[in-house]
Amino acid sequence: MMKIRYKRQPAWNWLLYLGLIYIFLLLGPLAGFDISRVVGEIAKNPELLIQQILVGLVNGAIIAIIALGYTMVYGIIELINFAHGDLYMLGGFTALSAIGAFGVTDSSTWQQSLIPILAALIISAVVCASINILTERYAYRPLRKAPKLAPLISAIGISFILQNIGLFWGGLGSFIPVMGGNAAAPKSFPDLLPRIDILKQLGIETSIQFTTKDLIVLLFAILLMTGLQLFVKYTRWGKAMRAVAQNPDAARIMGINVDQIIVMTFLIGGALAGAAGLMVGLYNNTIVFTMGFTAGLRAFTAAVLGGIGNIVGAMLGGVLIGLLSALSDQYFSSRWTNAWVFAVLVIILAFRPGGLLGENVQEKV
Amino acid sequence: MSNQLKQFFKSTITLGAIASLTILIFGGWSGAVIGWLLGTAIGLTSGEGKRVANPLQGAKLAVLPGFGVGIWLLIASLVQGLWLLPASGQRGLSVSSAMLFGLYSLAITVAAAVIMGAIQGLPSYRRQIATLFNIGAIAIIFPFIDQIAQTRWIATVIEIQIFVMLALGLNIVVGFAGLLDLGYAAFFAIGAYTTGLLSSSQLGIQWNFWLVLPIAAVIAGITGVILGAPTLRLRGDYIAIVTLGFGEIVPVVFRNLTSVRLEEPISKIIGTFMGHPEWAICLLGCDRPINLTGGEAGINPIGRPILPIIGTFTSSNYFPWYYLILLLVIFSYFLIGRLKDSRLGRSWTAIREDELAASAMGINLVQTKLLAFAMGATFSGFAGSFYASYITAIFPSVFDFSVSVIILCMVILGGLGNAIGVMLGGVIIMSADRLYLPQLAKVLKGVLNNSVLPNIANPQWQDFLATSIDPTQMRLFLFGLTLVIMMLVRPEGLLPDRIHQEELHGNETEKPV
Repeated sequence: MMKIRYKRQPAWNWLLYLGLIYIFLLLGPLAGFDISRVVGEIAKNPELLIQQILVGLVNGAIIAIIALGYTMVYGIIELINFAHGDLYMLGGFTALSAIGAFGVTDSSTWQQSLIPILAALIISAVVCASINILTERYAYRPLRKAPKLAPLISAIGISFILQNIGLFWGGLGSFIPVMGGNAAAPKSFPDLLPRIDILKQLGIETSIQFTTKDLIVLLFAILLMTGLQLFVKYTRWGKAMRAVAQNPDAARIMGINVDQIIVMTFLIGGALAGAAGLMVGLYNNTIVFTMGFTAGLRAFTAAVLGGIGNIVGAMLGGVLIGLLSALSDQYFSSRWTNAWVFAVLVIILAFRPGGLLGENVQEKV
Repeated sequence: MSNQLKQFFKSTITLGAIASLTILIFGGWSGAVIGWLLGTAIGLTSGEGKRVANPLQGAKLAVLPGFGVGIWLLIASLVQGLWLLPASGQRGLSVSSAMLFGLYSLAITVAAAVIMGAIQGLPSYRRQIATLFNIGAIAIIFPFIDQIAQTRWIATVIEIQIFVMLALGLNIVVGFAGLLDLGYAAFFAIGAYTTGLLSSSQLGIQWNFWLVLPIAAVIAGITGVILGAPTLRLRGDYIAIVTLGFGEIVPVVFRNLTSVRLEEPISKIIGTFMGHPEWAICLLGCDRPINLTGGEAGINPIGRPILPIIGTFTSSNYFPWYYLILLLVIFSYFLIGRLKDSRLGRSWTAIREDELAASAMGINLVQTKLLAFAMGATFSGFAGSFYASYITAIFPSVFDFSVSVIILCMVILGGLGNAIGVMLGGVIIMSADRLYLPQLAKVLKGVLNNSVLPNIANPQWQDFLATSIDPTQMRLFLFGLTLVIMMLVRPEGLLPDRIHQEELHGNETEKPV
């Protein structure tokens, strides 16, 4: 599509931006953004800031993993895969059911729970990858030649269907005891990761808590992201994926099976979503069938923030969004956190639609 | 002959299924009411594709399908009276009274079909007048019939009309201009909250409903412009996401604006850092923060419309509400119809079909899209204002993402761009959601508790059936399925707009590269 230029006088620009900043400062306090109060609180207790940054980093790492699914699919077929957030929710439900089936509970030692966790990781990754591949095959592939809005609407439909499956799954308490009684209620996920305060073990006297639980989730996320990056950069499959993202037709002429590559993208994205579902369950110890929607929007915001189609960008964006939510929870008001995240989305799209690191998408006429 | 029978069966299966489902779950005289409505629809469509020379021929064409649906009604009526009622633990009907209900429904269906069929045989000009007259008469006497037949559908029908109006508004944005708006409920919320704030005791402003209605619509339209201005130059799917983000922010804002206190920022920042907090200039809510939106509890009660003869509209008397929203829907329908044929409407179509070509033809893209956004938001504001005043209480949770998707479902199911189709989609989806699903849940629960559960030995299955068989929990699934299936099978909707259909199917002949 042609870039349409909108000319505005430079002086106007400055006035406009100043006005916007003023309005922001005026209305911000309504949503908890009160600079003087925030600065005061940080000055009073700087350790709390570091604590929140750590929380934000770990949450951001999980968001980044979900964001990877969005960004990879968008990079390849230019579809905002709305259902991805709900896929991650289903990943959490699968993992919980699997862990429940192994009979692991809160009181299990970590030696007892290690194998169930690994099994749950594999099961939820496989289940989510299969669901993702099936949706691609039956809901998106037939629409690949249709106008762009058609697959998007189809994805919204799939998202609703998956969400309802989550609700139904939560109501299976009579067969899966870990689901409890009420279908719509949040499910409690057993707290299996060891919780040893690392800083205290190192002999540092501080109120900041950084436990092995945080460390494990963070390391696992970093491991997944590095693995994906290496895969995309150095393997034949990764090279083919990048080729398809750049130009599917040229890639096909070069002998790449485009359909196969797309299926593989959905497979990897789905497996990552399943892993993220398990990690969130282990980290937050609660999952609910509506969590996919909000998490999905946050992850999508992260993907857009980093530049959609850009894998490193998605990781950066995920961490930034995680930090923003953690700081907003602490210093603004947790009731407004969602509004802040979406405001970032709207602002980024309005002023810098390419994202921070630039998008990696071919515009097709 | 058997082929003809097959054809006959095929032509009545959809309507017949709807009709028999209605009588199965509602019972009583509902069969007669639905027979009347469906019979009219049959008469309207039976002459399609054939040349109908005179009223007699039209009536003849309509009588057989009408009779077919009537038979469905008769069978359903018998099943309901003789089997379903006893199975769900209620007192069953005698064979004669079940027959009476069934035969009566059959007669009404055939009569309605014949009348409408005969009208289709009139000469063209008179046919249009008479069709309009017949449909208008149905719309006008519906509340009375509903009262006589004791079906108690009218409250839902009013809600259906509110959503039909919303769908008509969204149709401007999605159907005419081709911009996917996923946060349409936000404008609905803004209309509703404007009405709530201006005609309730929340702020002590209690203006007349007739004054607030246009104000709410205008404010919703202005918000549409404010949202649209920075974002409409984006690509199509980004617009969808921005509107979605906006639609998520608006309920959060309404949920949390419970203690509003505004201070001038520059003086405040200087004051704080110089150590003189009293320098800050207070603008709003100085003595005591204002509770603007009432948070989760919402705004309640909201003023109701007052008319000279009728007096204040009350919640026990649905008639004035029904006619008011009917008028609003008709008004919107004609206004949007005129808009579509105007210069602006044609530019919308041009933009939808090819943005680049449209801009080359001298259409100002941003301005035209902005107008589509504003128009859509305005109608949404109308609907929101009526809604607030009708329910007399508004809560932020009413306006979440699923509402936007329901409205989108209506537009897509009915037919993008076609007002009649969109209205049909609205009626189908809303009546399924608000009328059929809850009632079906009730009936199923009755049957389960009385006939199925006692016969199941396995306690696990018993528990599962008792908790999980609930059609109202499947709403999201059904909406999602509607969207996916419509996209795969018939992306142009049930009653497509001609231009749109060509657009969607035009490149099917092209070979893939």
